[in-house]
Parts: sequence; C-alpha cells; structure tokens
Amino acid sequence: MDIKVLGTGCANCRTTIAMIEQVAQAKGVAVNLEKVEELRAIMSYGVMSTPGVVIDGKVVHAGGVPGRDKIEQWLAVKHA
Amino acid sequence: MLAEAREVCPTTTLRLSREGALLVDVRERDEIDRLAFDVPDVVVVPMSEFEQRCGELPRDRDLVMVCQVGERSLKATYYLMYRGHTRVANMEGGIAKWARKGFPVKGDVSAAMASRETGCCGGAAPITAADRPSAQAPGKGCCAPQSKPAGACC
Repeated sequence: MDIKVLGTGCANCRTTIAMIEQVAQAKGVAVNLEKVEELRAIMSYGVMSTPGVVIDGKVVHAGGVPGRDKIEQWLAVKHA
Repeated sequence: MLAEAREVCPTTTLRLSREGALLVDVRERDEIDRLAFDVPDVVVVPMSEFEQRCGELPRDRDLVMVCQVGERSLKATYYLMYRGHTRVANMEGGIAKWARKGFPVKGDVSAAMASRETGCCGGAAPITAADRPSAQAPGKGCCAPQSKPAGACC
C-alpha cells in the first residue's frame, strides 16, 4: 500500500506520519510511506489544507491530523 | 504533476493590471482592512474561503494572485491551475514588496512588514533571515539587471 503524506513540514504533518507508522506496525500492514513536501507536488493532488493523505493515488484526507480510528479504517480496507 | 507556476514581479503586475488583469487578493479581511492594493480591478477571495469561492474567478481573463509575501498566493495559483485555469500567475514578494516599491496602496504601509505568512498547517511561520529584504542575494531579485527574464518579468 502506497501512502503519501502531503505537507510542507510542521508538527501536524510529522504527527500524521508517526501515527500511520504506528498503526501500520500495530496491525501488521506493510506500507510504503512517503512525505511529499514540495508545494507543486502537493497541489498536484488539489489539496489546499494539509496534512493531506493519499493512498494508492487517491486523496483520503485533507486538513488536520487524522484520527487513529480513521487510519485504522484505511489500513483495514486495504488489508482485507 | 502540475507545471511550474508562472511568477511575476510587482512591476509586471502593475503593468498587467493596467492592461486589464484582475488582481486576486487571498489575504484575510483583517489584513486587507489594514493595507490594501489600490488598483481598479482587485477582488478579495481569502484563503479561508478559496476552495469554496474559486469558481467565481473568470477563466477568460488574466489573473494575478497576491498576498502578503507571495506564499499563500502561490498556493492559490497552483490550486487554480489544478482546477484548469491557464491564465493565472503569482505575484512574488506580495504586498510587502509592492509597497516597498512605492506602488499604489491604501492603509497603513507599516502593516506590509508586520504580518507573517502562515506555516504549513496554518500556524505562524518562523521569521528567518531569508525573510528580511537585506538577505536577498544581489542580482537575484525579479527586476535586478543581472536576472534572466525567464519569460516572466522585466
């Protein structure tokens, strides 16, 4: 599963990455996690509010740190 | 991946404005109340409303996106490009540079230096040495004689 976290670098973006890593590890889900920090690349997804989360090319979240339950849902859907 | 955004300097922006371009100011209203662009054709679409209201912007007219220092407006420029706009450019340097050049403004000019662009997630961005005008490398400014035109300015 390819997961991109979009954000130009701040506490919320770092927290989002850390949470995804934690949940993926806890659930035993293999993820390729990538930070996208360049503005042009971020905007190529049409995400105005960061952090944004893109899973396998689809924007699943934009704005604020996603809740743990939301992350678990993303990983559960793909893991099934 | 989107193409690189076109960026223009305040001098070119002033010319484009006189030739019919629409300035789109994406600062919040309290910022604009303190200091505003004094040109005939300017519209305010704050970043907090931009996603909802960007559909109001014409596609058949040149748009120049502006803000405090050119960061938020660059983001708005890319968003419009994502939405299919082709006649859009970002004004680098923002109203801070515009005011330093003595171009038309109304309000408190000191406000051009006071406020800060927001950081990644809406928090205040730290002020760095690069933000200060004196930190700009010689010959690297938009209208510096040594700078290449690059099809954008001067």
